[in-house]
Amino acid sequence: MKSSTLLFRSLAIIIFIAGGAQLAGYLTYDTYAANEIETNHLDLEETDTTYEEGESKQGEAQDNSSDEPLLTTIELQGKWGVTYDSEDFTGTMVYDLKKEGKAINAYLVEYQDENGYGEAANGEKVLVIKKFDGKKGKGVYSVAYEGETYEVDCKITIIDEKTFQLSYDYYGYGDTETWKKL
Amino acid sequence: MIEFLSKELNWIDVEYWFHVLNDLSLLYIIVPFFVLEMIRYAVQKRLTKDLIFDSVANVITFGAFFVIEIILGILAVTKIYFWVYENFSLPHLPLNWITIIACVLLADFAYYWEHRMMHRIGIGWATHTVHHSSEHFNMSVAYRFGPLDAVMPIVFSLPIVMLGFDPILVLLSEVFVQVFQTLLHTEIIGKLTKPVEFIFNTPSHHRVHHGSNRQYWDKNYAGILIIWDRMLGTFEPEVEKVKYGISEPLRSNNPIKVFFHGLSRLFRKINRTQGVKNKFLVLIKPPDWEAKA
Ligand SMILES: [Zn+2]
Repeated sequence: MKSSTLLFRSLAIIIFIAGGAQLAGYLTYDTYAANEIETNHLDLEETDTTYEEGESKQGEAQDNSSDEPLLTTIELQGKWGVTYDSEDFTGTMVYDLKKEGKAINAYLVEYQDENGYGEAANGEKVLVIKKFDGKKGKGVYSVAYEGETYEVDCKITIIDEKTFQLSYDYYGYGDTETWKKL
Repeated sequence: MIEFLSKELNWIDVEYWFHVLNDLSLLYIIVPFFVLEMIRYAVQKRLTKDLIFDSVANVITFGAFFVIEIILGILAVTKIYFWVYENFSLPHLPLNWITIIACVLLADFAYYWEHRMMHRIGIGWATHTVHHSSEHFNMSVAYRFGPLDAVMPIVFSLPIVMLGFDPILVLLSEVFVQVFQTLLHTEIIGKLTKPVEFIFNTPSHHRVHHGSNRQYWDKNYAGILIIWDRMLGTFEPEVEKVKYGISEPLRSNNPIKVFFHGLSRLFRKINRTQGVKNKFLVLIKPPDWEAKA
């Protein structure tokens, strides 16, 4: 068999398989974005009740989110707080989200202890939201674990206009954080 | 169906499935099968000392290969793979069945080319000849590896990472292909049904690959799917009884000789070849290439 035939056939095989996977990945993202937008016109007040239920059973909220689509779209820019209670840190971290180019970036700006006393942070970029349609998004989150920082793919699900959940799964080590608008 | 295939999966589950298929299969298929093969050898009065020492050498070469693999694996996978994945990759794919199936298919195709290169490039054959140098054919031969056998797969799987597949998934898929391949090293299973023999690599096709009969040289490079050989002109069916081994027999079961014989033959060839350019060509030209005097 001629080398050119080998090359041509091999490229065709690779494009067929990898292209199929990329296309499927692209289409499934767009499908869910489209579904969400259809429900967009519904009333805002309903959202509040959804949220109160959602808050009381926070653990389940993530699983339910796909069945009960959220009724509003929101902007992410501004200050958000996440409360942690771990060995490393107990208190609230304050992040500033800014739209920069096509992405929305989050910078760590302040640490607050349990009593609300704040201390300025170094402003490092901890989160890049690459896609966001007003309800769901995807991005890369910097997770610190045992002194090392890992860049991890993450998902964002809006719960209501003042809350979203950020979840990630890094080869089985995952977590879901609740971000609150300040 | 599409919904099922594109539903996002959890890493913890995926890693568990691969663990069952890739790692535990040693216990529930490979070792029991090897025991069965040994019983068969005994019944047929073929259980010779040579066979036993050959099997022992196979397992020892695997130990040596495994150490090299671990060192390379830590370097290549955690550093190079992730660096390429973050900097030179198409959009990252979600973890779902479509991605997993595509990744296994691509890993299988990469295996085909990597294997073909191992046969057709001097330095490749210097390491892969170890695997082919046994004159027996059983599960333990699958574990007979050469010193550089871990290097080629790294080169050939990097493009898969660049296509947007997670480096860990690529690695798990490569091991899966290798484990499937392992199961083909047996004389117990004859030919399977026509459709299976048409699509998949089978013990029959892989016996041909290990044949020293002239028509069987450099054929059936496949891992899981034999269709790659059919599409790229390297398929050969099993007709004549296969004589296992290499054209220039090794005649030793000393694990050190087994492990290094390809490299030492390569160095001897480089030494006797005249001219710097020709010496270099020995490394990348096919193993039967000789410099014109
Ligand atoms: Zn081979």
